[in-house]
Amino acid sequence: MANIFPRGSNWLPIKLTIISSFVSIAIIAGVWYYFTPKYTRVGYQPSQPVPFPHDIHAGQLGMDCRYCHSFVEVAAHSNVPTTQVCMNCHSQVQKDNPKLKPVVESWQTGKPIEWVQIHKTPDFVYFNHSVHVNRGVSCVECHGKVNEMPVVYHAKSHSMKWCLECHREPELHLRPVDQVTNLDWTAPQNAGESPEDAQLRVGLAIKAKEHVTPPDKNCFGCHR
Amino acid sequence: MSKRVFHHPPESETGRKYWRSLGQLENRPEFREWLEREFPQGAAEFKGGEVSRRNFLQLMGASAALAGLSLASCRRELKHLVPFTKGVEWSIPGKALFFATSMPTRRGAQPLVVATYDGRPTKVEGNPLHPAVKGASTTWAQSSILDLYDPDRSRDFLHMGEKSDEASFIKALEEILAKAGDGSGIAFLVERNASPTRERLRAEIEKKYPKVSWSVYEPAGGVAADAARVAFGEGMLTIPQIEKADVIMAVDSDFLGNAEGDVEGIRQFTARRKVDGPESRMNRLYVVESHYTVTGTMADHRLRVAASQTTAFLVALADQIGKATNDAILNGLVQAVHASNPFNAEWVKQSAADLIANKGRSLVLVGERQSVLAQVIGHAINAALGNLGKTVLGRREIAKPARKIEDLAADIEAKKVQTLFILGGNPVYNAPADLQWVKKQGLVPTVIRLGLHEDETTKSEETTDIESRPRVKWHVPVAHYLEAWGDGLASDGSYTSTQPMILPLYGGWSEVDLLAVIAGQKKPGGPELVQETFRAIAKPSDFTAEWSKFLHDGFLDKSAAKAEALTLNGSAVAQYSVKNAALPAIEDDKYEVIFATDNKLDDGRHANNGWLQELPDPITKQTWDNAALISPKLAKELAKNAGLEDPVGQYDRHMFVNKIEIQLSEKDGGGKISLPALISPGAADNSIRITLGYGRTVVGRVGRGMADGGTGFNAYPLRTTANSYFATGATVSVTEERYTVAVTQEHGTLEGRGADFTREANFEKYKVVAAAAEGSEEKEYFKKMGMDSHTPPNISLYGHPELTDPHQWAMTVDLNTCTGCSACMIACQSENNIPIVGKDQVLDNREMHWMRTDRYFASENDDMTDPEVVSQPLMCQHCEYAPCETVCPVNATVHSDDGVNVMAYNRCIGTRYCANNCPFKVRRFNFFDYNQRDVLGHKTGHPFSGLYKWNLLQDKGTAETLKMQKNPNVTVRMRGVMEKCTFCIQRIQEAKIAAKVHSRDSDAVPKVPANAFTSACAQVCPTSSITFGDKNNPDSDVSRVLKSERGYRLLEYLNVSPRVTYLARVRNPTRKCRTIRSSVPSSKTPVNPTRKPHRTEVTRNG
Repeated sequence: MANIFPRGSNWLPIKLTIISSFVSIAIIAGVWYYFTPKYTRVGYQPSQPVPFPHDIHAGQLGMDCRYCHSFVEVAAHSNVPTTQVCMNCHSQVQKDNPKLKPVVESWQTGKPIEWVQIHKTPDFVYFNHSVHVNRGVSCVECHGKVNEMPVVYHAKSHSMKWCLECHREPELHLRPVDQVTNLDWTAPQNAGESPEDAQLRVGLAIKAKEHVTPPDKNCFGCHR
Repeated sequence: MSKRVFHHPPESETGRKYWRSLGQLENRPEFREWLEREFPQGAAEFKGGEVSRRNFLQLMGASAALAGLSLASCRRELKHLVPFTKGVEWSIPGKALFFATSMPTRRGAQPLVVATYDGRPTKVEGNPLHPAVKGASTTWAQSSILDLYDPDRSRDFLHMGEKSDEASFIKALEEILAKAGDGSGIAFLVERNASPTRERLRAEIEKKYPKVSWSVYEPAGGVAADAARVAFGEGMLTIPQIEKADVIMAVDSDFLGNAEGDVEGIRQFTARRKVDGPESRMNRLYVVESHYTVTGTMADHRLRVAASQTTAFLVALADQIGKATNDAILNGLVQAVHASNPFNAEWVKQSAADLIANKGRSLVLVGERQSVLAQVIGHAINAALGNLGKTVLGRREIAKPARKIEDLAADIEAKKVQTLFILGGNPVYNAPADLQWVKKQGLVPTVIRLGLHEDETTKSEETTDIESRPRVKWHVPVAHYLEAWGDGLASDGSYTSTQPMILPLYGGWSEVDLLAVIAGQKKPGGPELVQETFRAIAKPSDFTAEWSKFLHDGFLDKSAAKAEALTLNGSAVAQYSVKNAALPAIEDDKYEVIFATDNKLDDGRHANNGWLQELPDPITKQTWDNAALISPKLAKELAKNAGLEDPVGQYDRHMFVNKIEIQLSEKDGGGKISLPALISPGAADNSIRITLGYGRTVVGRVGRGMADGGTGFNAYPLRTTANSYFATGATVSVTEERYTVAVTQEHGTLEGRGADFTREANFEKYKVVAAAAEGSEEKEYFKKMGMDSHTPPNISLYGHPELTDPHQWAMTVDLNTCTGCSACMIACQSENNIPIVGKDQVLDNREMHWMRTDRYFASENDDMTDPEVVSQPLMCQHCEYAPCETVCPVNATVHSDDGVNVMAYNRCIGTRYCANNCPFKVRRFNFFDYNQRDVLGHKTGHPFSGLYKWNLLQDKGTAETLKMQKNPNVTVRMRGVMEKCTFCIQRIQEAKIAAKVHSRDSDAVPKVPANAFTSACAQVCPTSSITFGDKNNPDSDVSRVLKSERGYRLLEYLNVSPRVTYLARVRNPTRKCRTIRSSVPSSKTPVNPTRKPHRTEVTRNG
């Protein structure tokens, strides 16, 4: 009887094993990378051209976020300060600190400092800072406790699911508008109240009083 | 319950029909294909030459595998945030800044406001403060932003065609001027432009060099000023007061179109067309023209008259009016100019009677490009009707008289010119053929050219063996008006500012910069020149404050020109008419050729603008080309002579038509042209119309068109000084050669629904409807037309979307004022980052316009010689029960709580089910990366170049500068996603966010104020036909317009519940003229007085 299978088919199991192992490695690698916070860049902490310590400025010195990020309340984009803003103080304070050399150089040459971008939304997402900070959503909700970071890192996931969690239940995150840049604020607790319950009570009150209705089903809220 | 018929019943065989093309009227198979398929056969196939669909899938598989291997390298790239070193005043990163400016045109300055993002202009709008335009603008204003970023703009100073620099040019110029003496060898050739600063500098130059010669040339400028000079004396111009006229007779005058219209005139006309209630006073428009123009489509009565016979028609009209008014001047004119009268006598008589009945409230407009005699007769008729000082006012011309290009050519011939400055323009391309301008220019030792492009005037055509040769000694790149300081006079004569939005991209000079240097000043670095003019005009007491207000407002308040009294100079008119009495004769077997300006390219200056090239012409719906437009009768006649079955000009299913050859007679210069013919319903029988501006040879990549041929055919070689507007006595023959025409009139065709989509009635009927009691059947007249008259109440299978938002967005479109000019399409393209796709792709129905302007012809009993026209802008209707939403497998298109049909591009997987299920065919699919790739594909000349090139890693061919135009608030879509009108969602969101920010820390419900913003199409509309806003807000324009009894929604019987409401067209024919609406254009057509002029009752189907 002639052979039903050609000779080459002897290699078939080995080929299949090799190929399937490659495929499964690719799948595992894909899931590993794309389905974990690694992909959403949580923990991303690049080094900046100037080692600007947010913990000293915003934490110890108690400077308001809006001193440097001055247009956050009026524009979609929260601006990075100009060299001029740095020099407002550093033409007097610590002006010979070698860490400030790039700032001084930039001021003298007019060449801007190139800060490394940490938080980035995809091009098809139109996030607007002004509408959040004017409606009681604090900086800390998306950027974490920047006032405690010597070097800023990506603290929250910034995935769409994460956005929608807040858009669907804003009461868990709202605070009085004047406390938006106070990153250490917590809802004042009544006697015997847990912190979560206090936040819920305050959040619900603000939501009702100020008619906070973030787009929760409307795609065009963020995608245009 | 009666049975619901979901298929549209066939249209009735008789009575009034609405049709878009002759193919539709005759129900040809190729038309059925357009109708029944979303895209034509083959549009969804991959056409990459040798790359078949199978190969394509193999390659895709391979690249997917490779992508998997390189997974580890899929890191996001490192991006930087780069702030300014020093804060810039007013600048907020990511927020638009708006600056007022004005665009210079040959008809005066167009007041504008320009949006800039981080110093980068992106969008042009009309200036809402300026009383003449009130925020409206035009097609050309909208498209001018693309000219700024045109990658083919002239970038360098050229000396004898070699790259040079500014310093050497200044040095060379100084040498020339040092030897200028009294300026007798210096000549200027400029474009028409109403800039007081230019006038001032001209005077300074003439003072310094008294003998310089100054010539103005506009290929399509017309002779209106000459005619006004004859009729009313030196330096007078006439300004029609269209709003005050009850009866308007436009004789070959396209005063609503791009060529002769301005926003002010269009606004005035349509203000009297917004009928609202039984007391409305609607104007009546008579149009006499050879071919359909935008103005003709608005006519209540239209007479087809060949352009060469227009003067004879005016004489016939003057005869009637002169007799009735006993006007001596008019009667003298009629006697002096003997004209045979081949026109429908009844039409002339009735229309004259209507004009006479409205003495002092009527207006006769004669086309600016008609002869001086014709326009003088027009002025005399207006005088006889007592319209002077009422519907026609006068104004003093500020520009000093200039010489003509013919005089300049004679000077050059006589070797009187040593140095010639050509500022703008393109005389080598568009000067009259008999001047032989190329040779003339070659005779001048030094030619200095200021130009936006290195075009025909700068250098000769590139040939294969020899590089292009320079035609000028010096070429200076001009600064675009968005890069330069300047000024101008708007249509009402007010003084407007032009300020730069960005520094010159390529270091160009403005016209006034160059003139200032010639006048012996230094090249200004700022607004010094304009400031000086401003001081002289405004005489400010507080310069700083008044100058900033001038820049802020964009114009000088209360500077509109004062009206001057007009008195007709009877003796001058009589003298002129006796001298110029000879009229072109009618030759029965010869044809007339009209050289018209193009609705898109004007005289050719916009040839390198992709938006304009791809915009379908308002009448013919042709893109990327021009054609000879011929009447249906001529089409059949030519076919009979050539032994063809189909009429000439009827394209087949592959969009091929025969070319025809037109030969002018010897007396007209004997020019010859071969170009495709297209049938144009409503054209005068023996009149052939060719638009100018096409067939450029030295032009950028857009004007060059596709790899296999340029765009259109150049008619300038046929034009001479004597026949600049039309030539009579041409002969025509049909050639064997075939040519593809990208005509979009059948794209998005909807079955038998023309009559349902565009509803009309006569003014008489409208008044009855408007006066009817609320809730009565009469009041519902427009809502219950066609299919909607007999469908049972609608029930939906689907749930209604939850419309919880306090704002509910809606749009209205008034068909009674829409002229079909298509400025909205360009505004939408500019606002929403819509790419161009190229002629090949348009042929496959892949154009990306989010809104289209459907042009319907309407006629009784299949008549195609003299139909009426209705234009209808059609965009996504934002149906509440949207058919597209129910079929999307991935929920990429859903309904928002404020009533917008939203489209999430990043979710779309490109099944195109939604487009298939859309009854309006308004969804557009990205078959290619049109935004990233070189859609014109002649970079390499390879068959796979452009869109079809396999290209994963390299630069895909889009110029960097074009990326600068993109609106940062709108996603630039990629290949494979569906897109459509979003109601300008970025503007909605911006307004909503502003309201939320505004209500910070308060109890107020965040609410967008009424009319706080509008969509791009509504904003540009010069007729305010489109309104957009919150229908829940009783103060908004849209909720006011929605109350109109003319309102109806499309396809109501399908129960899709659109958010766009159309307002029915109302026509205002006279009762007397009803039986004479269509009439004889020339001696060739028999009179048909029995034709019913108008649909007085609707045809009710079923």
